[in-house]
Amino acid sequence: MHDITVKNIMFSYDKELILENISMKIDSGDFVCLLGQSGCGKSTFLRLMAGLSEPDSGNILVGDNELKGASLDRGVVFQDYSLFPWLTTGKNIILSLQQKFKNESKKELKKRALYYLERVGLDKATFDKYPNELSGGMRQRSAICRSFALDPPILLMDEPFGALDAVTRAKLQDMVLDLWRKDKENRKTIFFVTHDVDEALLLSTKIFVFGSSPSKIIYTHSFGDEEKVDRDSLFNNKEILDLRNKLIHIINKDIEEKINLKEIII
Amino acid sequence: MLKGIKNIKDYIGTIIILIMAFLIYIFATDIYNILDPVLFPGFSKIGPKFYSSMPKLWKSLISSLKLLIPGYFGAAFSGILLGILIGTNPRLNKNLKPIIFALNPIPPSMMTPYLIAIMPTFYLSSVAVIFIGCFWPFLNGTINGIVLIDQKYLDNSKVLELKGFKKLFNVILPAAAPSILSGAGTALNFAFILLAIAEMFATNSGLGHFIQYYADFSDYARVISGLLFMGGFIVIVMLGFEKFKKKILFWTLNENK
Repeated sequence: MHDITVKNIMFSYDKELILENISMKIDSGDFVCLLGQSGCGKSTFLRLMAGLSEPDSGNILVGDNELKGASLDRGVVFQDYSLFPWLTTGKNIILSLQQKFKNESKKELKKRALYYLERVGLDKATFDKYPNELSGGMRQRSAICRSFALDPPILLMDEPFGALDAVTRAKLQDMVLDLWRKDKENRKTIFFVTHDVDEALLLSTKIFVFGSSPSKIIYTHSFGDEEKVDRDSLFNNKEILDLRNKLIHIINKDIEEKINLKEIII
Repeated sequence: MLKGIKNIKDYIGTIIILIMAFLIYIFATDIYNILDPVLFPGFSKIGPKFYSSMPKLWKSLISSLKLLIPGYFGAAFSGILLGILIGTNPRLNKNLKPIIFALNPIPPSMMTPYLIAIMPTFYLSSVAVIFIGCFWPFLNGTINGIVLIDQKYLDNSKVLELKGFKKLFNVILPAAAPSILSGAGTALNFAFILLAIAEMFATNSGLGHFIQYYADFSDYARVISGLLFMGGFIVIVMLGFEKFKKKILFWTLNENK
């Protein structure tokens, strides 16, 4: 269907190499976490996936088609600006829905929007509120609502919960997992950028750890079908604890190397 | 009623300053005669003349509006339209920038002989003076607003495949609105400054003409009456504009206002 193959992606900005030889194979319906310290290029990679930038070389295949430019087939949830602040939440959602469902009436689209607002745990009143009248958590819920209402086969999320407090963050993680799990037949392929190891363990079926300068994949882990981590096993299961320690160790080592490298240059 | 009281409270400082200025002026003129009585007639003279000029002042205002409204809104329309065209077209922007830099600072008053020669009527040449003065702030405000749109809004619009007019009205114009409206404010100021120049030739009426006319006869009581009337009008327009601006730009205001 839409298995994704990333082949030898190179990307540089201002002559500096940012991504070096990124390759991965993703099955349709995977929940992929891109994990790494900040500034390691994982968000840059997500921008390539979104079609907002183009790689210098290499390509990204969705099914058999090469990915070109931004498209409604790949929904994006940004860290804190997926909604236009000058439109109400409802108008934001309707505007995007009109892009995809061109022949449907406004009434139908509103129904769809309200249905998904409910599914992300927001009440109807949110529809007429402006984004800056909402809390950070509600804004992200609205952004996720917009993405799921558009129903793209691939969803890209760039540290969507990075600016939220711990409690809200946990709630939203559960919500996204729930939304993702419920679509059993057409499960979305999700790419989720985070620097939080626990978040990655909790959400993902595949984890790619990005190392920095230039960024490359330094570690990969796939969970088996029955191995899905939940909040309890995250802290009780020996195997998962080992994996957690390993991931933290890998990331810390990468940070140390970066610091040493800087000292040598200075 | 309650709102009225609140408004007065909000502007209490303004009211005190105005009363102070009024008192100082009365002391300096009517009471102690410190200032030159021709240039600074006392309120005992201004008051009656202001009152007797009222019908003429209202007429002048209407006549000024006939210049201001087409000049200002004509400039708004063409400035924003051209601004959109240039702002969304990097190549055009780059090539036209030096030309805009060169033309922008030329005072419209210096163009008056040419405008009179080119325009079919005196009325239109007066409108043209205001038009030119207001055009540049609108144009620059729109171009700058569009060029400086935050990348995140553009990314978002790309992801949603927004294109053409839909993108223009839902993303480009709202995102550029702060800069366009700041240009609109500058243009409004210019419009009033240029009003007097535009009314120096061409028309026999208007607020600028009123002031100019009585200044020529050294009737400064009427000049000051005209200035006060015009000042009052400008304040009302500006406050209205501020309100409009706040309404459009509500989303830029602080969340915890």
